[in-house]
Amino acid sequence: MSFVLHGIGVSGGIAIGRAQLISHATIEVAHYSITPSQVPAEVERLTQAMQAVQKELENLHGAMTAGDAPAEFGAFLDVHWMILTDPTLHETPKRTIAEQLCNAEWALTQQLGVLVEQFDSIEDPYLRERRADVVQVVERVLKVLLGRPGVVRPAAAEEETILVAHDLSPADVIQFKNHHFAAFLTDLGGVTSHTAIVARSLNVPAVVATHNARALIRENELLIVDGGRNVVIVNPDRSVLAEYRLKQDELELERQKLRRLRTTPATTIDGCHVELMANIELPEDLEQARENGAAGVGLFRTEFLFLNRDGLPSEDEQFEAYRTVASGMKGHPVTIRTFDLGADKHKEGLAGLTRVAPNPALGLRAVRFCLAEPRLFLTQLRAILRASHYGAVKILLPMLSSVSEIEQALALIAQAKESLREQRVKFNPGVEVGGMIEIPAAVLSMGAFTPRLDFLSIGTNDLIQYTLAVDRADDAVSQLYDALHPAVIKLIALAITTANRAEVPIAVCGEMAGEARLTRLLLGMGLTNFSMHPAHLLTVKQRVIASDSSLAKPIVQRMRRTDEPARLIALLEKLNA
Amino acid sequence: MQVRQVELTNRLGLHARACAKIVRVASRFRCSVSLIWNGKRVSARSMVAVMLLAAGVGATIRVETQGPDEVEAMTAMVQLISDQFGEQS
Repeated sequence: MSFVLHGIGVSGGIAIGRAQLISHATIEVAHYSITPSQVPAEVERLTQAMQAVQKELENLHGAMTAGDAPAEFGAFLDVHWMILTDPTLHETPKRTIAEQLCNAEWALTQQLGVLVEQFDSIEDPYLRERRADVVQVVERVLKVLLGRPGVVRPAAAEEETILVAHDLSPADVIQFKNHHFAAFLTDLGGVTSHTAIVARSLNVPAVVATHNARALIRENELLIVDGGRNVVIVNPDRSVLAEYRLKQDELELERQKLRRLRTTPATTIDGCHVELMANIELPEDLEQARENGAAGVGLFRTEFLFLNRDGLPSEDEQFEAYRTVASGMKGHPVTIRTFDLGADKHKEGLAGLTRVAPNPALGLRAVRFCLAEPRLFLTQLRAILRASHYGAVKILLPMLSSVSEIEQALALIAQAKESLREQRVKFNPGVEVGGMIEIPAAVLSMGAFTPRLDFLSIGTNDLIQYTLAVDRADDAVSQLYDALHPAVIKLIALAITTANRAEVPIAVCGEMAGEARLTRLLLGMGLTNFSMHPAHLLTVKQRVIASDSSLAKPIVQRMRRTDEPARLIALLEKLNA
Repeated sequence: MQVRQVELTNRLGLHARACAKIVRVASRFRCSVSLIWNGKRVSARSMVAVMLLAAGVGATIRVETQGPDEVEAMTAMVQLISDQFGEQS
């Protein structure tokens, strides 16, 4: 039967493929009955499988202590070993086998279900997440029982696969990055959920907040995901399928046209050259940035270093990640933003932040947190400075609100440089230091920022949130989040004008930079440096090439002056005409 | 039986690695070691149970030891917790 599900399309495009359901245990387990006489053998099978995994973990541990794997990894295996050897995981399934006369896989999966439910009721979000460790251990055992140890579920090679899940954790999402799913569907989530961010960065369609997709869709059912129209069509009939295939082809054609722009310079009709840079989250995103012709990395978020781990990333580990990107960009600029942790960001494994702040967005986060934890900050600064020897690295400080923060951060950078000098470690002494403009206060007092910093970057997402006092991840008020609010337009224009007058380079690295509809608006404000998801680079370039900034400027001047939203929209339409 | 109240002052409370350390220490002794918090009582020798206790930062947990080496076990447990599980501060 064909039916339609509605959700929020958080990443555009059309995908047609087979559903792959992801449950707590990513392995689907069959149930079968056994006779009482088979019980001892079935219990033995479970014991054997657990011992095999125990051995596997011990071998891994041995291999690692011999090698040079980070210490955290060893501790992580240790935790898994202890979970595995816990009677909770041994005894109950064995009893279940005997009492319910069922197979070992089923007994184990049932016990996992019970434990997962208990974890899910934990209030502390950090401790609740540890559920993942138990799931992973049980999965290892299940794989042995099913006779395919260590093998990830094979995906149907012929057809495209669409991932259907209740919700995806940041850890899942990072893992799925390498799986080439054609689309993502989740029951939960919103525009800023991790699923959304990753889907956009992978340039695959995603529909979230479908409420019950995971329950209604069956494994291997044919799905059409239309991210642009917020719908999922389950088991489409032939005519619908044909229509969507046609649409898909059209989109592909459009994409091919864009691809030809990869090496075309981003210059406006009136000869104004524009730098189009990429925002990246992981070193692996570099490839996509290059494929889309990025002129550099305008924003390298470093929070990924905290994902899936206890404890803090070491200096060497950070250095390796930064160096990979720095040398990978072959002399093009790489702007590394120091940790922006706190508030909405995931901070698993980060000490001190699990305390629930009364108002996290206004609390100890980003540069404030780094200044409060100078050791953590110095470690990162040293790692970035060391990487500066291998490429055109710049340091970007997030969420500055006052001169004293700039001065403290600069003092710590000087201290990090001094310690490297003493140890005779190479770095670029002239590494540029810039600041994020994300708080209205920073825009209104930018005269104090420009003499102290080498460059600036406007983070529009936070600037809008702080200007309008709206948390866009909050469904109840997200409709008030508006990039085209007259106050937002005035602040962004003021920031760009002030920086241009002071001759300090300024970029926009928020989502506004990646919206082709707003490209002319930003060009008209005098912006020449955009940084965005690599997936948007070519669309924006197409727009830049077709724009004349001298024609845009007078219209944008009028947009800056108006307080009427309707007038602003009318002027934007005129600008885009 | 030995009974002590101990506050978790380390940064994340009973996170996975802290749990592992508790289980390791508790397993060194013959006596029973129980942790009680928020109306839940668990054996300190069960990794999963200690994880599920879900005692966060600032929680004051009750430690009970009972058996032949209960005094030594209590000393070791209290030391581990007040030493913040050997984490760097």
